[in-house]
Order: sequence, then structure tokens, then C-alpha cells
Amino acid sequence: MSLPSGHNMGHTDQVVQRRARCWDIYQRRFSSRSEPVNPGMHSSSHQQQDGDAAMHGAHMDSPVRYTPYAISPYNRKGSFRKQDQTHVNMEREQKPPERRMEGNMPDGTLGSWFKITVPFGIKYNEKWLLNLIQNECSVPFVPVEFHYENMHASFFVENASIACALKNVSGKIWDENNEKISIFVNPAGIPHFVQRELKSEKVEQIKLAVNQPCDVSQEALDIQRLPFYPDMMNHDTTMASNPRKCMAASLHVHEENIPTVMSAGEMDKWKGIEPGEKCADRSPVCTTLSDNSSNINSILELFPKLLCLDGQQSPRATLCGTEAHKRLPTCKGGFFGSEMLKNLVLQFLQQYYLIYDSGDRQGLLSAYHDEACFSMSIPFNPEDSAPSSLCKYFKDSRNIKITKDPYLRGELLKHTKRDIVDSLSALPKTQHDLSSFLVDMWCQTEWMLCFSVNGMFKEVEGQSQGSVLAFTRTFIATPGSSSSLCIVNDKLFVWDTGHQGTQSALFTPVPTAFSSSVPAFSQEQQKTLPS
Amino acid sequence: MRKHGSHWSQGDREGYQRSNYYEGPHTSHSSRGGRTREEVVTPPLPEHAATGSQMATSLDFKTYVDQACRAAEEFVNIYYETMDKRRRALTRLYLDQATLIWNGNVVSGLDALNNFFDTLPSSEFQVNMLDCQPVHEQATQSQTTVLIVTSGTVKFDGNKQHFFNQNFLLTAQSTPNNTVWKIASDCFRFQDWSSS
Repeated sequence: MSLPSGHNMGHTDQVVQRRARCWDIYQRRFSSRSEPVNPGMHSSSHQQQDGDAAMHGAHMDSPVRYTPYAISPYNRKGSFRKQDQTHVNMEREQKPPERRMEGNMPDGTLGSWFKITVPFGIKYNEKWLLNLIQNECSVPFVPVEFHYENMHASFFVENASIACALKNVSGKIWDENNEKISIFVNPAGIPHFVQRELKSEKVEQIKLAVNQPCDVSQEALDIQRLPFYPDMMNHDTTMASNPRKCMAASLHVHEENIPTVMSAGEMDKWKGIEPGEKCADRSPVCTTLSDNSSNINSILELFPKLLCLDGQQSPRATLCGTEAHKRLPTCKGGFFGSEMLKNLVLQFLQQYYLIYDSGDRQGLLSAYHDEACFSMSIPFNPEDSAPSSLCKYFKDSRNIKITKDPYLRGELLKHTKRDIVDSLSALPKTQHDLSSFLVDMWCQTEWMLCFSVNGMFKEVEGQSQGSVLAFTRTFIATPGSSSSLCIVNDKLFVWDTGHQGTQSALFTPVPTAFSSSVPAFSQEQQKTLPS
Repeated sequence: MRKHGSHWSQGDREGYQRSNYYEGPHTSHSSRGGRTREEVVTPPLPEHAATGSQMATSLDFKTYVDQACRAAEEFVNIYYETMDKRRRALTRLYLDQATLIWNGNVVSGLDALNNFFDTLPSSEFQVNMLDCQPVHEQATQSQTTVLIVTSGTVKFDGNKQHFFNQNFLLTAQSTPNNTVWKIASDCFRFQDWSSS
């Protein structure tokens, strides 16, 4: 958001003109760039993500796919208007697969890759399955990019004779129910992760950051090369001793997802995005971010999670054969309507949290509409006492399930930018971990954008200093001046991942680079609950 | 809960009957008997401010806040009960062109929503936190909309229990007699989605 120097964002002619110009820009930005989507392409392209297009549909003995989550173009409509939604990475999926067969390995040779698939392998634990196969396989193999796809398990190997040896294992291994396990082997195009190695160094850095398998026993990670959020490097000495483990965990690399790192070609496409209007009253913060080409790369570096998990991937909940019990769809990373919007939102978040974490939140005044609303909440668990790590948020927590008094309900909803910023300034000082951010853009129209940010932050002063908390923040924003966003609604929800009562055993707290030291809470604090 | 006075005795729409039974967070709707449609209904909206004005006066704002709370409470009870007990009727609460993002999966339009809810295992929701805000008309071009945020736990059949956060944009379709609210957009996530 721009900080007009000495400017009242009120009613001058300049503002009116600027808004008119920005509206045009906003219209161009927010109007959908719909790309033709072949419904068949959408679902089958996920089989093609490994460049396996030539083999598409051929070898697997799989029955007709039921893909409830594939979005046919006839159903893709906007929220308030009929618009086509754009899909991230659709262009990549439309590339002819032959192109992917080219390219060299880092050592200059042409690798030949094979995709190894275990049908219905989704039933099996990865380590168990790989061990079982290795025990029977005559040669040692290194499985690459192990993942679950629909009902099957797959990985890649980089050698024809290894692939052959694996094929021989088919039918010679059994699972715990004494059912034979088959193995299918197909030639594959160069998997994504390999392609990325061939491109720019920046992309390679990002790949290193996001593409770690969860097995941390491989070669050491050179942490100096990682494009990591700079501040985090200073905060945790344990990170230096086992950086890879921390990295993999904090980047939420989900072993069942295929990392889809952007190719340099896609990143080049972003450079073409118009820089937006240059307004004379831009703040220094905005000015430094006006150079898009380097800016976009640096933004991507701040949000490695989004590279790792973005885009549409094969849903797991596909009915195959007679298996009829219902499964939950695979949980995926954040969703953006389009790359352009993603850029807009990421820029906004970077600027917003830069100020939010700076120690002086008054700078956020220009981010909000005059008549904006803000409220925040913490969880209310009837069984649990609330942890002390959230005690600073009790008094502002608005939960209309608990609070019935209309006066109090009104008080807890902050209205007007001044009240909002004052209220934000009274909240504890924070340091947000941008690398933990996950963004869902769940409503976009011509006039507004609605998105939810999930992530982690640390408190940096006071009694709970060092506490790491999780948050979900929903923003509703309209086009602001100078290609920025203007917040009209802001809803913050904060919770403590370590204190979720009986569920804590099942939920894996997300380790971050921040040390976490939550003080034990006193009897007095235990009695303090939201009114 | 607050009484809505004479508004509730007006009209012959089915939706009104439900409000008589609305008493608190765990209202049972079984007493509705023969009513067949799922609807979230509140009293008619107040007159909008003069068309020239984009800024709500503080009096108008308070009205919108109250109305948002009413809609939110009514909605949340109906939504989760329908989700748990009458799953097939759930899409009646959505606009035709509504979109759901469920743990990053995009589901768009009623057909896709019907399929989606059909394939989702049966659920048991417990909502512990509810908050709402009126959405500024600049964002909605004066189509009255409420942002609703919920949090709690859910157990899907065959799966472990999860904490969840959910966001809705609820939009009003007004008639002289009442206001019917429908979901325009829905965003659902497990709090621990990355380990599920």
C-alpha cells in the first residue's frame, strides 16, 4: 500500500483522478485471463506432470476415472459474476510433452527416467513399500519423487536397467493381507525437479529449499544458499546444527504432494506484468518494490511454500473399481485465481507484514479503507483452559457464540481505520514467518478480492516472548491507489498449535526456526476466559 | 436469544417457522416437521442509506452489525446441522455459482458442489468460535454481504478428528417480507492440514 506523504486520502481532485486511472489498471488486472481449458486435459494433465504424456491412459489397468474435483469449464464461474476462473499452471500443462524429453543432466549427459507405479499403492506406507521392493530387487535403487497419485504410488528411477530390475519384482511381493503387489514401469520424461536443475541459479536455490524429501538423511544442505527470510537466520541456534531438518519441516513439504516448482519460463512470464501506475506519492517501501522482474523473484523467495504446494494436483479421492468407501480429498497448498493475482496478493502481504512487524503499526493506516472493519478471535475450547500464550488476546477476542451482549459485540468489532490501527497497535509485537504463509484466494470479483492467510508468527517482546503462534487472517480488499489493495474487512484468528487439548497427540506441531518457550500458566490465568 | 417481535409472525413463507425454534447454539431442528427447504432467513433489511452516500453513518453501521450477527447465528446452526444430518440438502444453502475451497481443493458451481459433498464422508461438527462482520458495500456494490468465520472440531467418518477454520461470504437476497441468505463463497481448512 502506498504511504502518501502528507496526503489525506480524502477528497482532492488528485485522488479522484488517481482512482480513475487505477480503476482502469485494476480492471485490466482483475479481469480474468481465461485460458481455454479442456476438461479432459485438466484431469489427465496430472498424469502428465511427469512428462508421461505419451503413456497417458495406455499402460495402467485402471478403470475409468471419476474425478469429482476436476472443474469443467461449464461449471467454472465467478463468485458474484459469471467469469471464467484462470488456473495456475495451466499453460505448463498444455506444453507438448516432447519438449520435456530434452535437456541435460547437470553432468551433461541425457538421463533416461522411468516412472515406477504400484497400483493401489496408496494403501501402503512409503518406507514399508520401498523396503519391500528393495528386498526383492536384484539391484539397489534410489526412488525419486515418491508420491501418491489417485489410488497409486509412484516414484522415478533414472536408469533403464534398474527399471527393468524393478519390473521383475512385480508379482513377487505381497502385502500384509497376502495380496500380490504389482509394479508397472513406464518411460518418463524428465521429472520436474530435474528440469529445474537445468535452469537459473535462483530457481535452483528455490528448488533446494522446497524439494526436500522428508528423509533428512541425505547430503547436507548448504544453508547459505537458501533464499530464506533473512531475519529467521538470527533467531534459532538449533537451526545451524540441523538446518535441513528444520527447513523441510518449516516448509511443510508434504511427501504426498508433487512439488511443482515454477520453471524459469513461467517466472519469465511474470516479468511481463505491468508495473502498475507510478504514483508520485509512493512510500519508500513501495518504490523499492516497483521493479517487477527482480521483485517477483525476491517475492517468490519469501514464500517458498507457495511454490512447493501451489497449483492443482491430482485429487486422491478417485473411485477405482469396487472400492466405495469415502475418502477425504488430499489437502493441498494455497489457491490463487491467477498468477497475476498471486503477485498482487503476495506483494500486499509482504508490505503489510513489513509494517506490522516493524514495531510501529501506524503505518498501516493507508492500507485500510476509512470505514473498514476489524475483529479478532482466539479459540474457545470448552474442555480446555486457554493457554497463557494467548492471554494477551483474550480481551479483544470476539466470539458471538459466547458473547451475547450487543454492546460488547459492538465494542469488539473495530470500525474506521483509526480505531483499527489503534487496536492493532495494542496487540503484542510480532515477527511473522512469511515462509510459513499459505494463502487461499477464495473469492474474487470485479470489485473485491477475498483471501485468507494461514501461517505462523512469533511474539518478540513481553512475557510471552518467543511464543510461536498460528494464525488465519482473512482480508477483504478493494482496489487501492497505485496498484495496491485497500482493506475493507480484516478478521484475525490466533491459536496456539501446542495447546489443542486431547488432539495435540495427533497433530504435529509445525517446527519453525523460532525457539518456542511457552511459560507455564498460573492458576489465576487459568480462570481468565473470554466473557 | 433475542426475540424478533412481530416480524416473525408475518408472511406465509416456510422459512419463518424455523426461527421460532431457534434458541441457542445447539438448537434441534427436528421439530420443524414438514418443512422441506433449507433456508437461512432473517427479518427484512433496513432501508439503505441514501444512494449518494457510500459511507455508512454510525447508526447504519450498528444496524448492519446487528443484522450480520443475526444472519451468522442463524446460518451457522443450519449449515452445520445440515452438513451433519442432511448432507444432500446442503447445496441449497449455496448460490448457483458459489465456490468452495476445501483444503486447497477448488469446487465451483452447484453441480461440482453436489458431487463434492456427496463424496465427503459423513461428519460431526462442533463449532466453538463464531465471528462475523458486515462486508463494506464498496466491495460488494451494495449487495448486502456478511463475512462469517467459524472454528471448532470436525470428525469425518474414518478419519481422525481435526480442528478446522472456515470462512463464508453470505449474501442477502431481499424481498419485502424477509431476507434469504446464501453462500457465495466458502473457504475451509483443517488447522493441521499439512499433517493430514
